[in-house]
Amino acid sequence: MARGETVANPSAGSKIKGLKCRECGRLYPAVAMHICEFCFGPLEVDYDYEAIAGRLSRRSIEEGPKSLWRYHELLPVTGAPTVGLHAGMTPLVHAKRLGKVLGLDNLYLKNDTVNHPTLSFKDRVVAVAMTRARELGFDTVACASTGNLANSVSAHAASVGMKCFVFIPHDLEAGKILGNLIYHPTVVAVRGNYDDVNRLCSEIGGEYPWAFVNINIRPYYAEGSKSLAFETAEQLGWRVPDQVVVPIASGSLLTKIWKGFQEFSKLGIVPANPALRVNGAQAEGCSPVYRAFVSGKNHLVPVKPNTIAKSLAIGNPADGFYSLDVVFKSKGAIAAATDPEIVEGMKLLAETEGIFAETAGGVTVASLKKLCEEGRIGRSDLTVAYITGNGLKTMEALTGALPEPVAIDASLSSFRKNVNPSN
Amino acid sequence: MTQMRLHLTFPEERVREPIVYEICKNFPVVVNIRRADISDDSGWMELEMDGELPDLERTVAYLRDRGIVVAPIEKSILEG
Repeated sequence: MARGETVANPSAGSKIKGLKCRECGRLYPAVAMHICEFCFGPLEVDYDYEAIAGRLSRRSIEEGPKSLWRYHELLPVTGAPTVGLHAGMTPLVHAKRLGKVLGLDNLYLKNDTVNHPTLSFKDRVVAVAMTRARELGFDTVACASTGNLANSVSAHAASVGMKCFVFIPHDLEAGKILGNLIYHPTVVAVRGNYDDVNRLCSEIGGEYPWAFVNINIRPYYAEGSKSLAFETAEQLGWRVPDQVVVPIASGSLLTKIWKGFQEFSKLGIVPANPALRVNGAQAEGCSPVYRAFVSGKNHLVPVKPNTIAKSLAIGNPADGFYSLDVVFKSKGAIAAATDPEIVEGMKLLAETEGIFAETAGGVTVASLKKLCEEGRIGRSDLTVAYITGNGLKTMEALTGALPEPVAIDASLSSFRKNVNPSN
Repeated sequence: MTQMRLHLTFPEERVREPIVYEICKNFPVVVNIRRADISDDSGWMELEMDGELPDLERTVAYLRDRGIVVAPIEKSILEG
């Protein structure tokens, strides 16, 4: 299916009414398209909330599978899930030790470092995107990625035998793609810079009959992030927190976590919490949303990324404007972390909670710390920070940042002399 | 004929310049603005541009030389 082509009644009789333009409100069938043909605004899934309200309850959720699919009523698929059956339902950790350091009594961490199968929150969005892609009749999936997204798309494609194309910049470090090659996708190394890769992918997305997860399947793909909010609310005992801290790359994750809490409240699954503040976290070396926030503007100026937090290095974020809007609307804030602060954040998280997060997790923890220091998050606020990927993926960021092992001779005296544990 | 759908971001020093006029005058391309928001110090525009591929490429290169950020309509597709 090329851009604009449709399948007959792809959502007939379901909870999905279709796609709706976020800007002009025009309606489209629930097919593989992402841009309003009239105003070029982004399309979003339009649900039949009345029908959903008649079926969804805390009980129906609790009786569902122990995965993100327990919230299938609010995910954009029409049939049973077929891809990523074990994604989601990651731990919500009461972070008492980290909270003590930061001066927070009610700090929780949503730990997506252990998501299945590729250890990042991308397993959620890809599970939803690919289930929908199969419903729409696609047999080939594609993405452009330097890391987590490529991992997740490649693994999920392998698990169901879909053809898979992954586009990367030609100069990407070899280590970054090994984790993809094991799943045997076709990895295409594009000679050119990031801008060239983006443009080529946009053109390919319009030409080939593929499910390009963050192009023509983007309206469905993005919805998978709502499951982070749903799980948070359920794991908190059916409550909406007072504060959330979310890393910002494209901005989609932050807007969908907000949307997830709004949907649960609207449907009466949880009491609404008007005090909810949605806070963002960016790496200073790639912080277009943070810069717009501190200047009080809603225009984002694209930047050339220069940060160790590669998974957040999106210089021209598709949902930057919308994430800024949510932050302003919820009276939240955005903080940014330098590269050394990111590493310190990773270390602090590991040392206090035993969670090894990738650099994006360091950004979140470092930004959380700044928001506490600025008094934007109060000691007693029920606070949830989102840790979105595993530290084993960004080991290089820690080179030279950790103490060397204590070397000793194989003797008790050497141990006593050099380690001296009683002191 | 080929069509490109682009998102342009204008830096402050280019906001007051008649960029669309310039590209229509200098290149054989048809420009159709779909959405835009321009303020005193920054701005963006979403447009479709029709023409022969080499002319479209030259137009994009011209815009970039003028300091305008040219992205596909999806903006950054390459994710982490």
